[in-house]
Amino acid sequence: MNSRNRTVKTLHIISRELRKKGFPKVKTETCYDGKSIRLSGKVQTWQQKIEAGYIAASHSQKFKGIVNDIAAESVHEPLFPSPGSREFDETLDGLSYDVVIIGAGVIGCFIARELARYELSVAVLEKETDAAMHASGRNDGMIHPGFAPKPGTLRAKYNSKGNSMYPAIAEELDIEYRQPGSILLFSSSWMRLLAPVLRYRCKRNGVAGNYRYLTRMQVQNLEPHVTYRQKGGFYFPTAGIVSPFQVTIACAEHAVQNGAVFHRSTCVTGFKSLKRKNKRQITGIITNHGIISANVVINAAGIWADYIAGMADDQFFSIHGRKGTDAILDKKTSRYQKHIMAMPSLLKTAGNHIHSKGGGIVVCIEGNTLLGPTAEEVPDREDYSTHKNEFRKLEQHLSLNTRLKKSDIINYYSGVRAATWKEDFIVEKSERVPNLVHAAGIQSPGLASAPAIAIDICKMVLEILSTGRVEKVEKTDPIPLKQNFIPCRQHPPVLKLLSNDEKKALIRKNPLYGNIICRCEEISEGEVRDALHSSLPAVTIDGIKRRTRAGTGRCHGGFCLSKVLEIISSETGIPKSQITRKGGDSRIIIREISQTLSSENKKDTEEREGLYGD
Amino acid sequence: MGTETVGRQPGKQYDILIIGGGPAGMAAAAAGAEYGASVCLIERNNKLGGILKQCIHDGFGIVQFNERLTGPEYAYRYRNLVKSYGSKVTVLTSAYASKISYHPEKSAADLFTTEIITAQNGALCLTSSTLILAMGCREKSDRQVFIHGDRPAGILTAGQAQYFINIQGLMPCKRCVILGSGDIGLIMARRLVLEGAEVEGVYEIRNEPSGLKRNIVQCLDDFSIPLHLQTTVTEVHGRERVESITVCKVDDDQKEIPGTERTIECDSLIVSVGLIPENDILSFSQIFLDPHTGGPEVDQNMQTRIPGLFSCGNALHVCDLVDYVSESGETAGTYAAKVSRKQIPYRTVEIQSSGNLVYQIPHFITLPDIQNKSSTIMKIPVYFRVAKSTEKAELVIRCGNTVLFRKRYSNLSPPEMKRAEISLSAVAKAALSSPLIECIMTDLGDTDGLR
Ligand SMILES: Cc1cc2nc3c(=O)[nH]c(=O)nc-3n(C[C@H](O)[C@H](O)[C@H](O)COP(=O)(O)OP(=O)(O)OC[C@H]3O[C@@H](n4cnc5c(N)ncnc54)[C@H](O)[C@@H]3O)c2cc1C
Ligand SMILES: Cc1cc2nc3c(=O)[nH]c(=O)nc-3n(C[C@H](O)[C@H](O)[C@H](O)COP(=O)(O)OP(=O)(O)OC[C@H]3O[C@@H](n4cnc5c(N)ncnc54)[C@H](O)[C@@H]3O)c2cc1C
Repeated sequence: MNSRNRTVKTLHIISRELRKKGFPKVKTETCYDGKSIRLSGKVQTWQQKIEAGYIAASHSQKFKGIVNDIAAESVHEPLFPSPGSREFDETLDGLSYDVVIIGAGVIGCFIARELARYELSVAVLEKETDAAMHASGRNDGMIHPGFAPKPGTLRAKYNSKGNSMYPAIAEELDIEYRQPGSILLFSSSWMRLLAPVLRYRCKRNGVAGNYRYLTRMQVQNLEPHVTYRQKGGFYFPTAGIVSPFQVTIACAEHAVQNGAVFHRSTCVTGFKSLKRKNKRQITGIITNHGIISANVVINAAGIWADYIAGMADDQFFSIHGRKGTDAILDKKTSRYQKHIMAMPSLLKTAGNHIHSKGGGIVVCIEGNTLLGPTAEEVPDREDYSTHKNEFRKLEQHLSLNTRLKKSDIINYYSGVRAATWKEDFIVEKSERVPNLVHAAGIQSPGLASAPAIAIDICKMVLEILSTGRVEKVEKTDPIPLKQNFIPCRQHPPVLKLLSNDEKKALIRKNPLYGNIICRCEEISEGEVRDALHSSLPAVTIDGIKRRTRAGTGRCHGGFCLSKVLEIISSETGIPKSQITRKGGDSRIIIREISQTLSSENKKDTEEREGLYGD
Repeated sequence: MGTETVGRQPGKQYDILIIGGGPAGMAAAAAGAEYGASVCLIERNNKLGGILKQCIHDGFGIVQFNERLTGPEYAYRYRNLVKSYGSKVTVLTSAYASKISYHPEKSAADLFTTEIITAQNGALCLTSSTLILAMGCREKSDRQVFIHGDRPAGILTAGQAQYFINIQGLMPCKRCVILGSGDIGLIMARRLVLEGAEVEGVYEIRNEPSGLKRNIVQCLDDFSIPLHLQTTVTEVHGRERVESITVCKVDDDQKEIPGTERTIECDSLIVSVGLIPENDILSFSQIFLDPHTGGPEVDQNMQTRIPGLFSCGNALHVCDLVDYVSESGETAGTYAAKVSRKQIPYRTVEIQSSGNLVYQIPHFITLPDIQNKSSTIMKIPVYFRVAKSTEKAELVIRCGNTVLFRKRYSNLSPPEMKRAEISLSAVAKAALSSPLIECIMTDLGDTDGLR
């Protein structure tokens, strides 16, 4: 059977199955020169759209991707967030770079850091006010060992490779990294028979370390408070943890120290392109700050990567948002659990989607404990709300550890994974647009895989630039490495991690490190000021929080918010009423109270307070 | 900023080290110095006064001074009292106590070590023979009552709003909803209106307000702010700033009643859903925290079950009257001064609550040396809170067959903490035959034929 016939047959099978499922209004066709499948038409609910997508996916082995353009009539699917509330001006118009990366998530930042090793001009465009505002700042911070992804996928390949790169990278970036190891708990004793299968899978995926089967007693010895329901487990010693925003921001800072440029609050809304030799090539990147040109464009736009591809007329896949909710427990729980634990049978009872690992209990680098994540398909890709029902599923994880209680929960949040229908990463040069590279569909374990993905993307960029596939580029020699490359980043001081003598020395040098402003996390004014002067400076309350942890503790900034506000204002000169939590209209303060009734009272208190200060 | 050091530069060792310079800590410092102890008072803010600095409304000091003072005025009096002891009290402000440890193996002078971070004196490590914890309390946040939906700017606690408005002169909202009818929430409702904001309403999940009656009248009724009982906030909406919230009625088990949801447009949600004593610094020990108070267990001298370790003020249990806070601080300081010189051999009697009571303070009573005549005439205050409102009830405190206290109360409610007194000598006598003191609160319903 020739490929054309095979295609026709596959489309036929999919159509038939869709009709059988009760989706007669869904149209199936090929797109992207016959290499991808496109679904269009109508269904009622979002769940039906998801179902249709997976039906197509189950027959798509021979296809490059699936574009699911079905409209679900009962829900509103927000399109690409228009830069409506953003400023429009021409401040970046006419700038030109060798490489422009779209998206300052962990992927974009690792790529920037990798490219900054070379004699290239590199810019990152990010629509938000800071790096790590989307998936990269809303995940579990786990560096998976590489066991979970299906063997043979890019997820499997990059995960185990990324995992083995992290120890060295943590050194270079001067960030905290630890390998607590993870235990996959068995819910019944027959599951130990699976051990050889698990070992085989580890081997195929290239998982490192002495992974092994543990008896019930061995698990019990490692984790004295583990649930009585466990019947042994499988242990992955190389499972690691990081602070996801620390990694992302550290990469960004390191890239900047080596010459990369970050344009934040800069949203890509389209491309200008030119047809050359039958290929459409990007010549300009349209943003709310003008048109920027680049020899190579990298699509690392997370949940919006399919839209970016579409803007370049290169859409062979589409993304659906899969929300995950996490809950953070108080630090005092750290003494009750040392390893990451999950019990996959919980998956079924929780009714989770087959495409998620179901979550568990993760120990965090900061000393907290984390429950999650859940998995839920959502139409709105930037919907980070939490809901009671998902939350209940999280609470079930508490039962894995006999000492954890609901009242230990101090916070909860959601993130959205950028899943493709084929459920794999897309890490490749565009087939159609010679100067476009995709790092798309980077769902879990994207954080763990990021360093490995960045290496390959960097290779692709160098290839494009040095083979002169792009006519404008005349360089044919290999791109030279930077002579003055700074190999290591230095993290600003973290008071809490210092010994008493080191604290003394630091405070003697700069007394601001002796002024504690966040009581839960023991963070000083000096650390907040450092965050305002880093190579990727914080400009919002959340920016400070992500860099210093001020406000991440059990009181949620009840104590430090007002102080952080004051420090930002005094350091940057921005009036307090203009300082935002996360950009846009997220102001903390509506106005400063002037000559109103309270000025009386204020004077009163000030006078009295003056007396306190001596 | 800057460290205020009244008296000498910090030494290395003190009879009493106090963490927290609010009303409790200041009262403890003054009392300790009064009884001749060397005292070091640690406060992380740049000024003494604690929460009182931001409470510019009046009503403080009715018991202690028989006057209606504002918070800052009340604090100022204690601040002066502390100052009057000169070099006997070393005050370190802008000094944050980060860690404490207990060394029973060391000499009595060095039982406790406290690590302190200060701007002016760097990182310090002080030892003391007694340690008084007076760290106050913190507010519960929206997360602790499990509010869902979006998480935009504009969600804050009542205390945060109070600090913004009263201390910084910053207005956090235009139109807000207040969740929780605790006193701070009520006071802030009035404050916000006075500053020109609109308070759409106060919502309370329980079937009765958790704040004091007088605050309901003076802060809500007088300003026509509606109070919605058995109603709670379930979700917040808005990506950047709060745009609206959803409220929902609840049944008697505090379960949401479907179909009663209502969306309210507002730019802020202010939560006033309770206070938690600040005792995280105790994590060094496996010391038991009373689940009802959130503080450690203490005897009538505010001493915990670790000899030499004291707890007072809102770090011990949340008081609604600052006067009681000062009283407990004074007790702690006085007794700490005594034991800092010599641990007195003692015997303890446990106290238990039953009937309509949530908890009582103290948890146990330490009986002094019988020979020590001077202290046996002492009256011991017993603080208690009822579990649910009652129109008529009787409290009996007894030890075996001896009744130590008996009183009838009318109109008791959980927000109001009450104080009873028992005599130490009576306890000492009764305890010879019984090891336990019982506090029993019996509701006297309509069936009460005695009236
Ligand atoms: C709940 C949850 C838990 C997870 N746990 C883990 C884990 O434990 N371990 C792990 O390895 N992975 C985990 N993941 C997955 C991981 O978070 C992601 O794979 C990773 O963060 C993806 O990074 P990214 O850079 O591709 O995407 P993002 O971080 O989303 O970055 C994309 C960026 O592009 C920007 N952007 C988009 N469009 C434009 C535009 N037009 N112009 C300018 N900028 C644009 C966005 O603003 C965004 O900042 C988890 C994910 C979730 C949701
Ligand atoms: C927002 C709010 C509003 C209130 N309003 C009222 C009111 O109107 N009327 C009323 O009677 N009561 C009110 N209260 C209760 C009030 O807390 C008590 O009445 C009284 O202030 C308690 O005194 P305290 O000394 O126990 O605690 P606080 O006044 O809280 O003082 C504790 C002090 O300890 C310091 N501290 C804590 N930890 C450390 C550390 N590790 N190192 C160094 N210093 C530390 C703190 O900075 C603080 O100054 C309010 C409480 C809050 C939280």
